[in-house]
Amino acid sequence: MLQTLEGVQNGPRLSVTTPLDEVEAAAAATDVLVLEFDAFRDGRGFSLAAVLRERGYAGRLIAAGKVLPDQARHLRRSGFDAVELAPGADAAAWDRMGQAFSGSYQPAVDPAPTIWQRRRAASNDPDLQGLADRLNRETAGKDASEILKAALDPALGLRVGAISSFGAESAALLHIVAETDRDVPVVFLETGQHFLQTLSYRTQLTKALGLTDVRLVTPDANEKATLDARDDLWRTDADACCDLRKVRPLARATAGFNAVITGRKRYQAATRAQLKPFEVLDGVLRINPLADWDADDVEAWLEAHDLPRHPLVEQGYRSIGCWPCTRAVQDDEEARAGRWSGMDKVECGIHLGRRQVAA
Amino acid sequence: MYRYDEFDHALVRERVEEFSDQVARRASGALTEDEFKPLRLMNGVYLQLHAYMLRVAIPYGTVNSRQMRQLAHIARAYDKGYGHFTTRTNIQYNWPALTDLPAILSDLADVEMHAIQTSGNCIRNTTTDVFAGAADDEIEDPRPWCEIIRQWSTIHPEFSFLPRKFKIAVIGAEKDRAAIRTHDVGLQIVKGEDGGTAFRVFVGGGQGRLPHIGQEIASAVPAADLLAYLTAILRAWNLLGRRDNIHKARIKILVASVGLEAFREEVDKHYATLRHEDLRIPEKEAERIKAYFAPPPFEDLPKASAPFDRALLADPDFARFARNNVRRHRKAGYASVVVSLKPLGGVPGDITADQMDAVADLAERYAFDELRAAYEQNLVLPHVKLDDVPTLWRALREAGLATANADLATDVIACPGLDYCSLANARSIPVAQALSKRLADMDYQERLGPVRINMSGCINACGHHHVGHIGVLGVDRKGEEYYQITVGGSPDEQAALGDIVGKSLPADEVAPAIQRTLDRYLEIRAEGERFIDTVRRVGPDPFRDAIYETLDAANA
Amino acid sequence: MKIVTANRLSDGRVIYAGVGSQPVEGIDQASVLDETTAEIVLAEVAGRPDIFVNPYLVEVQGHVPSGRDRLKERIRSAGPTVGHSVAGGVG
Repeated sequence: MLQTLEGVQNGPRLSVTTPLDEVEAAAAATDVLVLEFDAFRDGRGFSLAAVLRERGYAGRLIAAGKVLPDQARHLRRSGFDAVELAPGADAAAWDRMGQAFSGSYQPAVDPAPTIWQRRRAASNDPDLQGLADRLNRETAGKDASEILKAALDPALGLRVGAISSFGAESAALLHIVAETDRDVPVVFLETGQHFLQTLSYRTQLTKALGLTDVRLVTPDANEKATLDARDDLWRTDADACCDLRKVRPLARATAGFNAVITGRKRYQAATRAQLKPFEVLDGVLRINPLADWDADDVEAWLEAHDLPRHPLVEQGYRSIGCWPCTRAVQDDEEARAGRWSGMDKVECGIHLGRRQVAA
Repeated sequence: MYRYDEFDHALVRERVEEFSDQVARRASGALTEDEFKPLRLMNGVYLQLHAYMLRVAIPYGTVNSRQMRQLAHIARAYDKGYGHFTTRTNIQYNWPALTDLPAILSDLADVEMHAIQTSGNCIRNTTTDVFAGAADDEIEDPRPWCEIIRQWSTIHPEFSFLPRKFKIAVIGAEKDRAAIRTHDVGLQIVKGEDGGTAFRVFVGGGQGRLPHIGQEIASAVPAADLLAYLTAILRAWNLLGRRDNIHKARIKILVASVGLEAFREEVDKHYATLRHEDLRIPEKEAERIKAYFAPPPFEDLPKASAPFDRALLADPDFARFARNNVRRHRKAGYASVVVSLKPLGGVPGDITADQMDAVADLAERYAFDELRAAYEQNLVLPHVKLDDVPTLWRALREAGLATANADLATDVIACPGLDYCSLANARSIPVAQALSKRLADMDYQERLGPVRINMSGCINACGHHHVGHIGVLGVDRKGEEYYQITVGGSPDEQAALGDIVGKSLPADEVAPAIQRTLDRYLEIRAEGERFIDTVRRVGPDPFRDAIYETLDAANA
Repeated sequence: MKIVTANRLSDGRVIYAGVGSQPVEGIDQASVLDETTAEIVLAEVAGRPDIFVNPYLVEVQGHVPSGRDRLKERIRSAGPTVGHSVAGGVG
């Protein structure tokens, strides 16, 4: 939902009449941008927001000036996070109009699945378990590239996306994805709590591999405002924090996919010991091309293809998530021992089925 | 035809609720009239001279009998028992109360209809060839693509507050029966390099105060990339189009001012950074939609029909109807039938509730339950067995719908003009009626052959006068109605704007002047030439002379 | 002289400012005002947007529109000058 804000917001403030290149230049230098509508009829702001988002602006985008509650969904779907309410504006009308429609036909910047995607998901309820079994059989003994190619075969009619943390080992999977199809959507969970090194690595790796469709998925602004306004939920309830920042956003972002590529490997944790290249989780086909790789395989691949490394690896981090819940590990520890260290927690939840999370 | 699924149903229902909320906020003062106006316009609600006017969308002109009966019900229950078909293949009601509109929209939703984006600065109803799926020269039925565009453009987050309105038309044949070059974007289905469906794209056409013929911006955009390409065009215009002057806001002005090449570069720049994968029409969705437009269960019939041929010989009135209103069909033994809404001396495009019911019954009985609205303000029964045409004709005659003048001189296209419209400068309907009465002799009309006469009551050109073979534009001269005549316009694949022949005429001079023009054509035409062919060959001068000679003599 | 006209919010019908600036439907019931009074009444009805939509002044002689837009105003006051295709008249 579009967040409604009282009072004048901080950050550079540009009129929607500003030429696109000037808006882009301003966006490049800030992580909060306010676009001010001089008249609600002036729809340039919607295109400016959409272009900024599609060209990679990941900061906050706030609409201000003359806008109507009836434009709430236009703003949200074009890439705005929030609207600065004029004094006396009726916040209830904004909420009501923001929820006036339960679906949209056309794809836009927001991650909510479109009607087209939902229809497809509904009609595409093929026997995914059967498909997973068949693909596991057919790809037995095949390498990661071949596993991926099998999944991307257009004849299967799958809508495939990849998820990546842009962490310590991610370059291997992304490299294989890029070599197969650079246009495969790659979802990155922008939890707002990543190490700065992860963010710069994401930019570096995206460019090096030529990935064309890396999608940043952020927590819902209103949910976050309610559950974790001070960004410290991780201290008291790490599961709730993961749920807010990872599980829910990923569910939204991948609702349009019925197949998701992950970089998980059996060796990484006890919870992953049974991992197969193809499995079905919550009605989605999970494709794990690196299931039988170990740390040495990853290292060899990165070496052989001269891929950029995550800057934190040389500081002893071997599995990298959000900064509050990640530490470096000793050589004799499991790679993921540095995640939620000291807590009874191994997985964030995005790789667990819904039922298990609830249990 | 397309049928709604749960998502389509939910969306139109939610739209009704949203509009009810907006009406309530207008009544409470939470919305000013200035704020409310664009919102109501996007639901097809105008405030005209005498009342509100509701424009109901008929997407790409296709409607079934159940929907047509509901349109009749709305005319009776909330209006004055009639409606008016427009050049955008929509239907307008002239008298609904604002307080009834939520109920009307709800009645429409009951039959999978709506009034979404029939006005306002957004993407309007997509129009197409009225003979789509029936014409024998079509390479692919354009209607599934119209439906895809309808869905994509409905409540578009980025393109609902554009500099001005935006109209798209799609055709599937070389012959242009949808005037695509007079649209903001015109799409012609062609075969791409890989043999797949592709679109030839024209941009920057439009009528109004500053008319332009669309120019080709792309020769073959692959079908899967159509929405990405349309997005790039709209985005370029949304960011660069003028918003300081309503008369210079349409995309045609932007394209004309920067030039086609520069505009194409701008479009390509946006196209390059779009999320193509998202905008790629899912193949399954395209297939799902196409399935709704599969041909109806035609019978295998001989080419000739004995009942049809017998009726031709037996009844000269039927023979005339067959000559003028019955069109060749792709399937042997079938025809398309034009139902003229241009009774001699009548109001072009008007239809009563009883006529709507009658035509709905006939569509159900004889035409696989399908009707089309034509941009010429007529209806078409697209698929009729030749064997049934005589019976159908008798029933149409009973309902006052069998005027045998399709594409003839009295098949006049006219906007509502100053009798209804708050933008108009002059009336169109009485002038069209006077002309229709003057040219009423059917033998004379048939001697003239096809000629299109268009009338607009103001420069906004809803009557498409710029592209009429003969165009009539109402102007206001110090509080008096005058009419400017153009000759030589054409909306088809040889699209052209008419030439203004001279000073404007008073209302009662228009019909006589047009008749002199037509008589001059009869004098000077070469063998086999249609009116427009003669104009193209000799130019406007002989017709100018014909129009003004008597006037000049009278004024001398 | 001037009269004040608008369309009514609820049903869009043509209305005029009559006695006490109350909305009236017939042009013959409209208050015929001098320039100054007309401006005052216009401002007054503009403050009632729940009834008067887009109010403006019309020049009249007696109760007959006489200005540049006289034809339009006569059609507004009397209804369309044409019927429709079959009924031949509009109620």
